[in-house]
Amino acid sequence: MIPINGWLAPKYLTWLLQGFGMTLGLSALVIVAGTLGGCLLALARTSRIAPLRRAGALYVLVFRNSPLIVQLLFWYFGVATLLPEHAMTWLNTPHVIDLGIFRLHWPSFEFVAGWIGLTCYSITFIGEEFRSGLSGVPAGQHNAAAALGLTPLAAFFHVILPQAVRISTPPLFGQYMNIVKNSSLTMAIGLAELSYSSRQVDTETFKTFQAFGVATVLYILTIAMLEVVLVVVQRSGARTAVRR
Amino acid sequence: MNDAFSAILANVPYLLVGSFPDGPLGGAALTLVMAAISAVLSAVLGLAGGIGLAMTRGVLHTILLAVIGFFRAIPVLMLIFWTFFLLPVLLHINVPGLATVVAALALIGGAYLSHSVFAGIVAVGDGQAQAGLSLGLTRWQSMRYVLLPQAIRIMAPSFINQWVSLVKDTSLAYIVGVPELAFLANQVNSRLMIYPVQVFLFVGLLYLILCTSLDALATRLLLGREAVAEPRAIVTPLPVPIQHRK
Amino acid sequence: MKIKLLAAVVTGSLLVMSSLAHADRLDDIKKAGVLRVATFDSNPPFGFVDPKTNKIVGLDVDYAKAVADKLGVKLEIQPTNPANRIAFLTSKKVDLVFANFTITDERKKEVDFSTPYFASGTQFIAKKGTLKTPEQLNDLRVGADKGTTNEQQVRTQFPRATIVAYDDTPFAFAALRTGNVQAITQDGPKLVGLLANVPDRDKYEIPAFTISNDYEGVGVPKGEPRLLSFVNDTLKDLEANGSAGHIYDQWFGPKSRAPLPRLYKIGDPQKS
Repeated sequence: MIPINGWLAPKYLTWLLQGFGMTLGLSALVIVAGTLGGCLLALARTSRIAPLRRAGALYVLVFRNSPLIVQLLFWYFGVATLLPEHAMTWLNTPHVIDLGIFRLHWPSFEFVAGWIGLTCYSITFIGEEFRSGLSGVPAGQHNAAAALGLTPLAAFFHVILPQAVRISTPPLFGQYMNIVKNSSLTMAIGLAELSYSSRQVDTETFKTFQAFGVATVLYILTIAMLEVVLVVVQRSGARTAVRR
Repeated sequence: MNDAFSAILANVPYLLVGSFPDGPLGGAALTLVMAAISAVLSAVLGLAGGIGLAMTRGVLHTILLAVIGFFRAIPVLMLIFWTFFLLPVLLHINVPGLATVVAALALIGGAYLSHSVFAGIVAVGDGQAQAGLSLGLTRWQSMRYVLLPQAIRIMAPSFINQWVSLVKDTSLAYIVGVPELAFLANQVNSRLMIYPVQVFLFVGLLYLILCTSLDALATRLLLGREAVAEPRAIVTPLPVPIQHRK
Repeated sequence: MKIKLLAAVVTGSLLVMSSLAHADRLDDIKKAGVLRVATFDSNPPFGFVDPKTNKIVGLDVDYAKAVADKLGVKLEIQPTNPANRIAFLTSKKVDLVFANFTITDERKKEVDFSTPYFASGTQFIAKKGTLKTPEQLNDLRVGADKGTTNEQQVRTQFPRATIVAYDDTPFAFAALRTGNVQAITQDGPKLVGLLANVPDRDKYEIPAFTISNDYEGVGVPKGEPRLLSFVNDTLKDLEANGSAGHIYDQWFGPKSRAPLPRLYKIGDPQKS
């Protein structure tokens, strides 16, 4: 029936947990960079400057319509051939910044390429969510702000943006969950995250079911945690529903 | 640059159809076939799931939510690993690689579409459902003749989005040796060795063409000539100067 | 009563079906008229795509063809990378694996191996002048292939080395070229074949040391003794009538792109 031939040795469980740590770290950094970049992209796509709008649309067209795996392979193998040799040597030597309390290690090139690739890809979708949020704010709010004497900038920060953020929070968290899931693709460029580690454990121990089972459970737990955070965020603070 | 260009150009037929007709269909053609089959299957599953979510209550509803939630939470790569490595062992049958990838994509697509269908049905509104019932239709009939046609129109953009990302997700089949476009691109790149930038840019371009034309085609078919809205500037008017009242 | 009868019929037919399902793989292959084989598609000269015909050719493919011809069936090739070899075999997607498959005790628990038909040792490629002794590996980033014995050997013998595993050898070499890793590891003959096809091969070298002695055999599913002995007999015949030497000459002989002297013949005793 189901081939369970013993549990995984602690050494292999450690591999899986290290991979899980890598997944969490990468996802967190991509979420931060992606949210910032997504904001900028949404602003670009709704700005009054036409070339900026078109540049944003082009960015979305290119990064949304090609598969993430091709983008990652491009960043890791392709861009690496474009950079000059001493740049590559610098990127691949471990650098350590001693901050007294702790030391920051320069991440491997796999991590950096994965981070850049995932961020560029996720910015397109996060930007779209923010844009929907912005257009979801009723037009009356803009006019009311103007009638109250607020400048466009003040209106944006105090009236429009808070409502836009509230509208886009649920789909935004959906994109964060996608980021966690998409991080699994970085195994193709040699980043030792969870899917990579589960494959390694499988090829060494042949305990396919256990290796993939642990990895799947860990992924689902992370997604579930994000759901919980979303519920907490939505229920906390002085939030009154936007009434139409 | 010219060497790269001519090297890639020589491989374009291989990238487009694989070793067909001397071998199995591959490349971009296989990508489209896989995406099409997965799209149909996920639409069927999505409709079933969405209707199920709308019509069930209590324990059954929760179980359905949990199953759909599982398929939305698992990374596509992991599900492909599961269907490819373990499904044949569990079912004791030989499942061809293509089928395992299509199954994985259909399950995940179906899970996402279930929520869209459910949201569409809810968006049509209680009023329509009750009107159907008051006309003497059964719950199933009002679902089929009143709610679904309107819901599908609301959900069409979701369906189209899902199908376009299916084309992209087929690229993951390379991990299990299915000779679609990404797999062949890697093969060609491994053979040429020194042109990774050009090869991946070219393949990215191919996917771009595939996805955008699919998007345009599907939007045209499902929604008629309504163009997708151009992003418009969101302009807050300048403050109204306070006038002295006479 | 009816339920008991139904149960008996169902059990009976299940028993019959399961015994039918255990028909021999060799018979299945002959009945289907097709031998499905997993080979490499990016590892010259063992298995790679011929750019003129877009078909997979190579040393492993020739051996597979010999077995298929002896069976009188067609050969169908499933391209694979090292990590998927065993999965293809255990999930019944292929009947045999001809992919420079190293024989290890661990693997013998999952699959059966034929008598070895190739011998090699784990070696490295590095940029000229950078790798002289094995001990240097402990300080380097080493590229490897997922699911290979080379990766495991480097990890066991050089615990301080940083190993980055990719899906297949050309990826590892691309990483070496861009400087992401300082050396890559694979079987010596595969590295020789790889370098022969690279335009800038003068920048790289294969240091002379190896860190293991390995034998490669054909991967056969567990529990198929008739298929296993058929493959073994075919291999021994190929050696006896000189075809094995002929195949070797075509890919590694003096006139080939990657000449390597033939040190191991099928049936030679293995040094442990």
